[in-house]
Amino acid sequence: MPKFTLDGREISFDPGETVMEAAWREGIEIPHYCWHPGLSVAANCRMCLVHVESGRQMEMPQLAFDEKKGEYVPTTKPKLQPACQLAAAEDIVVSSTNDEVKTAQASVQEFLLLNHPVDCPICDQAGECKLQDYYYEHQATLKRKLTEPVHKPKGVRFGPTIIYDAERCIMCTRCIRVCDEVAKDHVLDMRERGNKNEIVLAPGRELDHRYTLMTEHVCPVGALTSQDFRFKARVWFLKSGQGVCTGCATGCNTHVDYDPRYGKVYRLRPRDNADVNKYWMCDDGMMTYTRHDTDRLLMPTTGRGDERMPVGEDEALDLAAEKLKAVDASKLAVVLSAQHTTEDNLALAKLAAALGADQLYLAALGGWEGDDILRSDDNNPNRAGATQAAGGVTLKSVDDLLADAQSGAVQGVVALGWASAEQLEELAPLTALDGVVSLTSHVGAFPAVASVAIPVADIFEIDGSFVNDKSMPQAFRPVLAPPTGVDPAWKTISALAGKLGKDLGFQDLQSLRQGLSDAVEAAQ
Amino acid sequence: MLNNVGWSLAVEKLLQIEVPERCQYYRVILGELSRIADHFTCNGASAMELGAFTPFLWLLKVRDWVWDILERETGARMTHSFGRIGGMAAPPTASFKDDVRQLIPEVHKVVKETEIMLLRNRIFLDRMQGVGVLTKEQALSYGVTGPVARSTGIPYDVRKDHPYMVYDRFDFDVPIGEDGDNWDRFMVRLEEIRQSVRIIEQAIEQMPDDGPINVDDPRIVYPDKDEVYTTIEATIAHFKLVMEGLRTPKGEVYSFTEGGNGELGFHIVSDGSGTPYRVRVRPPCWYNLAASREMLLGGMIADIIPTFGSVNMIGGECDR
Repeated sequence: MPKFTLDGREISFDPGETVMEAAWREGIEIPHYCWHPGLSVAANCRMCLVHVESGRQMEMPQLAFDEKKGEYVPTTKPKLQPACQLAAAEDIVVSSTNDEVKTAQASVQEFLLLNHPVDCPICDQAGECKLQDYYYEHQATLKRKLTEPVHKPKGVRFGPTIIYDAERCIMCTRCIRVCDEVAKDHVLDMRERGNKNEIVLAPGRELDHRYTLMTEHVCPVGALTSQDFRFKARVWFLKSGQGVCTGCATGCNTHVDYDPRYGKVYRLRPRDNADVNKYWMCDDGMMTYTRHDTDRLLMPTTGRGDERMPVGEDEALDLAAEKLKAVDASKLAVVLSAQHTTEDNLALAKLAAALGADQLYLAALGGWEGDDILRSDDNNPNRAGATQAAGGVTLKSVDDLLADAQSGAVQGVVALGWASAEQLEELAPLTALDGVVSLTSHVGAFPAVASVAIPVADIFEIDGSFVNDKSMPQAFRPVLAPPTGVDPAWKTISALAGKLGKDLGFQDLQSLRQGLSDAVEAAQ
Repeated sequence: MLNNVGWSLAVEKLLQIEVPERCQYYRVILGELSRIADHFTCNGASAMELGAFTPFLWLLKVRDWVWDILERETGARMTHSFGRIGGMAAPPTASFKDDVRQLIPEVHKVVKETEIMLLRNRIFLDRMQGVGVLTKEQALSYGVTGPVARSTGIPYDVRKDHPYMVYDRFDFDVPIGEDGDNWDRFMVRLEEIRQSVRIIEQAIEQMPDDGPINVDDPRIVYPDKDEVYTTIEATIAHFKLVMEGLRTPKGEVYSFTEGGNGELGFHIVSDGSGTPYRVRVRPPCWYNLAASREMLLGGMIADIIPTFGSVNMIGGECDR
């Protein structure tokens, strides 16, 4: 590979790469605002100016103050070039830290802050703002301008998800490019110029495509804020865990930002993965986190309709075992979940095998539209994993389950998860059966028709993996602790098996995972 | 105050910066005032513990005068948190130099009165002389510093041997003892008060009346509050300093100063972030207290009182 030198360090590059890209790949950040690895080059922020020290120097005329003469005299200074647009070439010597470049960085930074409002205390970006970071690193001087800053519109509603503040905006155009290049919808553009510059909506439009939150995600400052996250949390209190989006079968990688003081998740952010989601996520995926603390089932319940009441954890397991024992194994339906991890499904499939139940079904969500950007047609994160866990047994649908229940072929049900495309009314026939056990993190149609519902941990609370629609297993780690007395589903299933007098042959996740393919193990 | 400045100097060494000259003098004067207060308190308490209550009150009034000045300067009499990395929390008040100048003759007077009250008192002499002896060798092997070490004849004073700030510009002596007993420790402290006054007298004359107190770098020193409230640059600087801390270069330093009781050292390891990776304090009293075993062994139980008093142990420095 050809090489060039950046700040004394040799960097190899693929022909066609820019200096910025090659450095970025090596983990070096040349300061920048408008450049984003997933977007086209705009080269308008001028923060990434570097000096090509080798080769013929381009000189730029300037006036410098001469102390002796007491006046300005014409002279020259080296012409700097934006690293984001400068094609890497063999053996060039680039500096991003020499005095010329430092002066340029400080000046650009000072210029960007010239009319910036004093908003840090009320700005959601504070704490992860590039203006703050680069001020500290590259400027570190106090204000010289004494006049009133230019005022522009604040709190402009761009759409149902995004609010725009023109005063904070540095006109990097990242949001425009995200709409153009990722969402393929030219809904944002820029008007005026100089200090009247402003991002505007296309006439008659709202920012309402499926990737609007990406505009906020790429905004290097606090100009675009998300309606959902706005004023909810301060980022320095948040910690971040690694997750996988449960929104659809694409399995976008996420940063799960949560406040450890309250055990509450505040937002998801895309985690870069070139093979899956690159740098992006869709709005629906970004909002899946809200599911976590809405409609949770926190106590086991028993009984149906008005007679439903909470029971103790142990009592619930005993009750479930008792009800399942009463059902003949050949008439026991086991419902796997396309919303649960491969591990949870595997544990349930093992329970089915141990009991000798061979009627396996799959519950999955529906009512979703895919696209050819990121969204898969299937809005269940783990249909492939659940199918794998079933180990070759054909999984029938919930419709089949209802038919089987009505025909008498099914007299008892163990169901994993709350999620099903079917509504409560459709599942109503199951209420005729006495032994319907639901293992679920949330309330929903299945738990509603169950005679015993036992809570299990939600996706942010467990160790596990999903298999996405490209058959890639992706593991994630627990971010929060589950509610008191609530275990991951695989553990609860193992305990239930114990009550039924069966040993499923695993004690922990590691021994459970031995039943999975090597690929899943490799993903751990 | 000596601790405040000692810590600031350690971080400043890591940052490779030096505070403005005016601030260095200011720090020296406030530090020496603190030393005077310390030594008067220790010596006064030594006398009180031997039954002489009047000298205690007599000496402590100087501490109050010193504290009056410190209160005017810093806002607190005792627990002043006034040192800042890169400077001080506030510039000297307009009356600072006059206040200190007025104090100096009073200090001399009280030192003289102390000598008259105690140095020919038979009981005091008997309880102090030849009691609690620490030899030079023992002092060295225990790592003892400060007045306790100097009383054994070791002329080690960080201000003289490794001058920091502007101490190399002052003409002052390092008093030493011979026997390392309670008496020598008492006398060394008494003489050090005179030497501190000498330093203050010179510093007051040399200290510029104008000029900055803090280094001119918003990455190190908080900008003025009115700028923080009105300009974005100062807001960001303030935010970064509060939320992420002052970032220092990667590396480690050991920085040491002459505290009231000896060498006060700070060892800092930095990983380049806003919080230290490791900080280790070398407090003088930790070593001085360890050596008190040698002073007490073979003596009388009653001698623990004056001996322990003359070690001038500061509890916080031994809590580790």
